[in-house]
Amino acid sequence: MNLHTEYDAIVVGSGISGGWAAKELTEKGLKVLMLERGRPIQHGIDYVGEHTTPWDMPYGGKPLRELYAEEYPIQSKTHGFDETTRHFFNNDKENPYVQNPDKPFIWKRANGLGGRSLLWGRQVYRWSDLDFEANKKDGHGIDWPIRYKDIAPWYSYVEKFVGVSGEKMGLPHLPDGEFQEPMKMNFVERKIKKSIEETYPNRYMTIGRCAIQTEAKNNRGSCHYCGPCARGCSAGAYFSTQSSTLPAAQRTGNLTLRTDSVVEKLEYDAQTKKVSGVCVVDGKSLEKITFRSKIVFLCASTIGSTQILLNSKSEHFPNGLANSSGALGRYLMDHTLGYGAYGIMPDDLEKYHVGNRPNGTYIPRFSNLPGDEAQGYLRGFGYQGGARRMDWKMMSGQVKGFGVRFKQALRAPGPWMAYLSGFGEHLPDKNSRMFLDDTQKDRFGIPQVAFDSVYGDNEKKMTLDMVEQAKAMLKSAGATNVGSFVSDASPGSAIHEMGTARMGDDPKESVLNRWNQAHDVNNLFVTDGACMTSSSCVNPSITYMALTARAADYAVKALAAGTI
Amino acid sequence: MNRRDLLKNTAILMGGIASSSVVQAMLSGVDGRVKIEKIIFSWDQKKMTQVLADMIIPRTDTPGAIDAGVPHFIELMVSDWYTETERAIYFEGVLALDTYCEKNFANNFLDSSAQQRIAALEQAEQDTASYKPPANKNIAVETEDESKPFFLKIKELTVLGYYTSKEGAQKELRYDPMPMRYDDIDFSAVGRQWGWPPVVVVMRCSGLFRNQNNKRSV
Repeated sequence: MNLHTEYDAIVVGSGISGGWAAKELTEKGLKVLMLERGRPIQHGIDYVGEHTTPWDMPYGGKPLRELYAEEYPIQSKTHGFDETTRHFFNNDKENPYVQNPDKPFIWKRANGLGGRSLLWGRQVYRWSDLDFEANKKDGHGIDWPIRYKDIAPWYSYVEKFVGVSGEKMGLPHLPDGEFQEPMKMNFVERKIKKSIEETYPNRYMTIGRCAIQTEAKNNRGSCHYCGPCARGCSAGAYFSTQSSTLPAAQRTGNLTLRTDSVVEKLEYDAQTKKVSGVCVVDGKSLEKITFRSKIVFLCASTIGSTQILLNSKSEHFPNGLANSSGALGRYLMDHTLGYGAYGIMPDDLEKYHVGNRPNGTYIPRFSNLPGDEAQGYLRGFGYQGGARRMDWKMMSGQVKGFGVRFKQALRAPGPWMAYLSGFGEHLPDKNSRMFLDDTQKDRFGIPQVAFDSVYGDNEKKMTLDMVEQAKAMLKSAGATNVGSFVSDASPGSAIHEMGTARMGDDPKESVLNRWNQAHDVNNLFVTDGACMTSSSCVNPSITYMALTARAADYAVKALAAGTI
Repeated sequence: MNRRDLLKNTAILMGGIASSSVVQAMLSGVDGRVKIEKIIFSWDQKKMTQVLADMIIPRTDTPGAIDAGVPHFIELMVSDWYTETERAIYFEGVLALDTYCEKNFANNFLDSSAQQRIAALEQAEQDTASYKPPANKNIAVETEDESKPFFLKIKELTVLGYYTSKEGAQKELRYDPMPMRYDDIDFSAVGRQWGWPPVVVVMRCSGLFRNQNNKRSV
């Protein structure tokens, strides 16, 4: 079936990047069709787990083991996955990918309107030129086609709309942004901060910069500190497609939204050298429909967008659309996850806190800064962390006995526990890749994604330092019982997957140009994590947002000028 | 079609959901612990579970485990949620208490005195001393330890059932689902720990705290 409705633009995906593409393009007057493979999820109304009380949780909040093992073996191993959030996640059984047991890759996916914008960790940090220049300096990967000055105004533009709370620090390698009032550190976190900043030059601890409003703005509320954001926030305090970009796009009257629309491939017209159609399989009826538009924004997530391109084969592009470079699917990166330290802060038992802060503390990168590059590894890492009183669940395993004394002992919280958990940069590597396994099709007849990606020696060396530095900082801050944690988490676990359609100035080496526009196909833009040329060590989503808004601005101007 | 059939059919329509009792509880908006699919506890096992839950968290100036419906919660967990391995350890543990009491006090557990029951449960706790829980390598994930001994099992279930109950969270602890702020306070201002924040708010490290839980000495 062919629908001859012409749109100005089609946006594939409704997550963080897709939401921004739809908002920007519709606000600039384009008629936009937004396609989402999953089900509709309506703001507020469909947040069915929001404010579920502990006593209404089935099995006291314990996992439904048989169901999770059978249908959610990958998604269920996500922090925050439970019966109040499960409905936002992908069903692994219904949406499989090829898992190599020797080199597992963890692909965390949402499968509904808003994508992972409903579930994300909401930490937002700007990149700096330390990041944009890294590839050029040490020769891993290719040079970014942009620098901080190119993206800085776009960071400001998106941050104001997103509603970012945070503290300005004046650090060149972690540039300040447009911040609302920062959330508060607790007493013990401030103590740790003071110790670290007095003990170590160039090390700082701040409250996490997060996409959760502390001021009611942008037609959204401010955080009420209930805690579990991933259940959905009907107050719209945190940035999601539903709370933020989708209503903005809908207000223009220019948006058509189609859920349950699985994009199979893009159709390429060799004469015009453009994408001529977006081929959709209806998620319910399995009917095939082709939609047409002047431009296409792929925002289906790092893996999802590249899957579509790899599956869009033609005589002209036998190895996937816009893949004359051969880089498509390669240079897949994530961050390292699960390395750090914890300890007990033995004093301050009279201090407590009120509220469930959905945010922690952050220690910006301090290793391999300019003038101090001798760590035995390249690039760096930052720490997310925090301190809190141990609750009854943690303490119940530690307090011996039973009866009145046991009950009495759990009345007060346990001691303060502090932790630092590192996120490390993953070097771009040609051999770290995703590809399609043509022998394994999903229920829509689309070849499944397979992965070949492992962390390299540099990441391994870095994680050792990550653990040692975390232990040393906690010890010097007065922590006792300091222990380290090391992880066997596979790539993908940090849910910061990036690369596979990287940006670059040279069409022979890269898929996208400096405007996120495909070198080979000028009406095709990819603005999600697939575009990333390196991975930095900071959480990436705000950068996707800024790049998306920037690319949308470029695309609309190019359309008007007739150059697309 | 009566209400029960309707709920059952809805469970089938929702498809793939392991336990219709869970669905039923969620759909009817009642306590997610109410319905036990298959009664497998004998009267003695039921009664002993009640006594044990009460021994672990008794009524004091606040409600105890029985007031909070914990015995029913334990029965639900053991019948409906436990694996075969866990269920076997649970019932063997209950039986071991009887065996201990018969050997030492010439009575079964239920017919023993309160002091004797305490001695039996203390012995069960002693029996866990040499137990080493398996290491949890991925701190992002909380894993279940199926093989942990009986005493740790019933203590865990009693604690979980009690502190996540309305009575435990609101009357023994303090529960504030909408605090509107995050701030320092003195512990004396509240005097109790907070009832469970709906989800433990620790970014990506739930497994780390689980590791702490596994260590049984501070």
